[in-house]
Amino acid sequence: MDRAYLGEFEELVLLTAAVLEGTAYGVTIAAELKQRTSRTISLSGVHVALYRLEEKGFVRSELGGATAARGGRRKRLFTITAAGKRTLAEMRELRNELWDAMPNPSLS
Amino acid sequence: MSSNVTPHHPTPPAWADRLLAWFCPPELREELLGDLHEQFDQQVAEFGEAKARRLYVWEVIRFCRPYFIERRMTATPRTSYEYPRPLPTNPVMIQNYLKIAWRNLIRHKTFSAINILGLVLGMASSLLILLWVQHERSIDHFHANGSRLYQVFENQQTTGNDLNTTMTTPQLMAPALVAEVPQVERSVHMTPGSRLLLTVGNQAYKEIGIYASTDLFQLFSFPLVQGNPKTALVGPASIVISETVARKLFGRTDVVGRSVRVGDNDDRQITGVVQDIPETASLKFDFVLPAAPYIRKTQPNPRWGRNGWRTFALLHPNTDVNALNAKLLNFVQRHDSTMTKFTTFLFPYQDIYLYSKFTNGQPDGGRIEYVRLFTIVAIFLLLIACINFMNLATARSAKRAREVGIRKVVGAGRSYLLSQFVGEAVLMALLSLLIAVVLVQVLLPLFNQLTEKHLVIQYGNPVYWAVLLSLALATGLIAGSYPALFLSSFQPVKVLKNTLQLTASAVIFRQGLVVFQFALSLLLIIGTLIVSQQMAYIRGKNLGINRENVIYMRVEGELAKHFEPFRQALLQAPGIQSVSSSDEDPLYIGNSTTGVEWRGKPDTDNTLFYQLPVSYDFIKTMKIGLVAGRDFSKAFPADSSNYIINEEAARRMGMRQPLGQELTNEGVPGTIVGLVKNFHLNSLRVAIEPLVIYLGPSNSTLLVRTQPGQTEQALASMERLAKQFNPAYPFAYTFADDNFERQYKSEMLVGQLTRYFAGIAIVIACLGLFGLALFMAEQRTKEIGVRKVLGASVSSIVALLSGSFLKLVLVAIGIASPIAWWVMHEWLQAFAYRIDIAWWMFALAGGLVIGIALLTVSFQSIKAALVNPVKSLRSE
Repeated sequence: MDRAYLGEFEELVLLTAAVLEGTAYGVTIAAELKQRTSRTISLSGVHVALYRLEEKGFVRSELGGATAARGGRRKRLFTITAAGKRTLAEMRELRNELWDAMPNPSLS
Repeated sequence: MSSNVTPHHPTPPAWADRLLAWFCPPELREELLGDLHEQFDQQVAEFGEAKARRLYVWEVIRFCRPYFIERRMTATPRTSYEYPRPLPTNPVMIQNYLKIAWRNLIRHKTFSAINILGLVLGMASSLLILLWVQHERSIDHFHANGSRLYQVFENQQTTGNDLNTTMTTPQLMAPALVAEVPQVERSVHMTPGSRLLLTVGNQAYKEIGIYASTDLFQLFSFPLVQGNPKTALVGPASIVISETVARKLFGRTDVVGRSVRVGDNDDRQITGVVQDIPETASLKFDFVLPAAPYIRKTQPNPRWGRNGWRTFALLHPNTDVNALNAKLLNFVQRHDSTMTKFTTFLFPYQDIYLYSKFTNGQPDGGRIEYVRLFTIVAIFLLLIACINFMNLATARSAKRAREVGIRKVVGAGRSYLLSQFVGEAVLMALLSLLIAVVLVQVLLPLFNQLTEKHLVIQYGNPVYWAVLLSLALATGLIAGSYPALFLSSFQPVKVLKNTLQLTASAVIFRQGLVVFQFALSLLLIIGTLIVSQQMAYIRGKNLGINRENVIYMRVEGELAKHFEPFRQALLQAPGIQSVSSSDEDPLYIGNSTTGVEWRGKPDTDNTLFYQLPVSYDFIKTMKIGLVAGRDFSKAFPADSSNYIINEEAARRMGMRQPLGQELTNEGVPGTIVGLVKNFHLNSLRVAIEPLVIYLGPSNSTLLVRTQPGQTEQALASMERLAKQFNPAYPFAYTFADDNFERQYKSEMLVGQLTRYFAGIAIVIACLGLFGLALFMAEQRTKEIGVRKVLGASVSSIVALLSGSFLKLVLVAIGIASPIAWWVMHEWLQAFAYRIDIAWWMFALAGGLVIGIALLTVSFQSIKAALVNPVKSLRSE
């Protein structure tokens, strides 16, 4: 593989970060995922995934404004990068191709 | 948010926040805590505060992931908004400390080796001692009734109004205690163990047996593997044997109901098999016979004045022993009004092994003194090793001064440095402990041989690990404390400008440590010298009875019946000079009685006379000095009721001319026909007591004096004749010499052990001195170079370098000598016959220490003095 490997959870986090454009940070991403997947989502798991994605260059981050709810602490806001978007598109494409190649696509 | 200002705003647990802050990378702390708190607020709204707090803690715990910890260790701040300020407990700092410690260890190999070797030696010796001490302290502590078990002791007033304490009591004691004292639940009496022959078919072994009353196995926790502990000793022909004996005789342990012959014709039926007596029991036996039938047969008319049984009592729970002892004081006198000088008391059974030495009726130490002594020695050895560490670390402080300076400049506080250096010392101690444990494991078999124990390190026992770890921790803390305080006090400006000067007080402190170390070593050496001198004195002392070339053999089986023919046959045999017998080891007489009467004896007199039944030629065989009269001889048929007494007995009875006077011993009237010089009846710890010697009908111990240098022939003759007269018994003998030495076994052991440990102490101290000398020579390389250029000779430089150390050793001698004198003077008080402490012992010890110290130091001094000054001065 010529691009960095993405785990299933990392892919979900990356997608969610793209969905929550501009307001994506630990708590919002975790809440969104929790709501959509009805899985137990731990904040620490989300953070590790985000930092890994950043190290791989799929997201970039900056420290955003502090709010009183966080005890005056700043939050780290994540934005998907062009490389991140490309990887997501590639993965989607690959899946579509595989679906299309299936002889009997209705998996009832 | 408005909830922020309400007084009851819920907050997550602060400790969870601290935990997170500790392990998470500092640059992420703000955003993570922020996210966590935000989620917490949401969860409070959703689930309520209590559940939110639980969830919060759980969430924080889930942050302990390898990812964060790894990231923290590698410490690459992604953003520079916060410069990390790690605590000393920070993993990154610990990593750094470990790295620096390891580099220091490797770079200065000699110093590290000296340090570790010293610590290892100190720790290994103290571990061995601790194992021994622990074993000594565990003796007799395994009985389930332990805290309620007591032994009965008797005090007897001597003519000097001193109290003499004995652990043998009349056989009437135990039954009387149970019948008359309500606080006594049970009482048991028993005889001292004696070796008797056990025979089954053609298998015959000599084993230690005791006679004991029925409740033995209910009082003491000696579990029976076969048989009923309540009834095993009820039947008159019963016997209880140990598992080992059962295996020896039958090859199996389920042997209840089988029969065994005891001695010549005493057939018994096994009623129980007892688990082997553990090593931690002071009471040892291989088989037990019921006491009651034995008493009926041998002592049908008991008297309160006749001692010979050990009596034990089990008290009801919550009995006030002091109150009971007050009541028991005149217990004997209440039964026999003539026994005015005897008092009785109970002593805790568990304490007997270590504490049962009595002076004038009061407990006065005992074996515990040796246990304490060795505990102190263990502490000494560790201290000496710790001092080495302190000394070398501070002496070498200049080498690490720069590190301290740099650390301080980049922000390390004093507490950081303190924990760094103490931590280093603890690490060294742990490393040394590891090696020491291995060393102890290797040395244990030898040590066990020496102490005649089976000590093991119980690796499965958490208490051992706790002790080992605290030992390492304590050593590390003690050894590391001063260097840490000292090093962390450096001022970075001075250190980095290279103008560090050791203060006078630091130098004095270090010298003080050397003095202390050598004083401790000296104490041990002087102690060793005096102990071995006293032992040599005991061995060489003229006891008034000659134990050289005397062989003991038990009179048993056919020998007892045909004693006189056997004696005559022995006298004809080659190598044998003289033959007699006695009923006890004449070097260690135990039987005593108050039943000696003479004309003019005051009614109040209760003098205890030692008694020794013998046969013909006793005085001649044991070479006891005869003052007047004669030995017992076949030529005088009336001798069977005649007596020989010692000078002490004559003095106590007030007889100027004892020969021909009447004397009644336990109801048997007779005439005194001999007066012998006082000889030692007993251990040299006690004075010589009055003694009555008489002809016994059958004595247990054969005494054979061999021709000097013909021991081999004599033994061969004895074996041949013993087989001929007494074929059923294996031939066994002991030398009087060996028997004698066995009495001083613990003193001999103490002597031997202190010798080894004093050796180790001086080795450790010299290791330290060697390190210091090495360092000093290194420091003064330039000075020596300049001196040589200016014309100093090698010898003057050696004298200069060695002199400073010698002074310290001399001071140590001055301090240690009076302390050693006092301690050893106290120790010698335990012996009634002892050496005087002489000045030459101190001189010898001092000379030894000076010599060794000089050798250690001069090696370095000479090496330093021989260096070509061109070399040492060029290296700028």
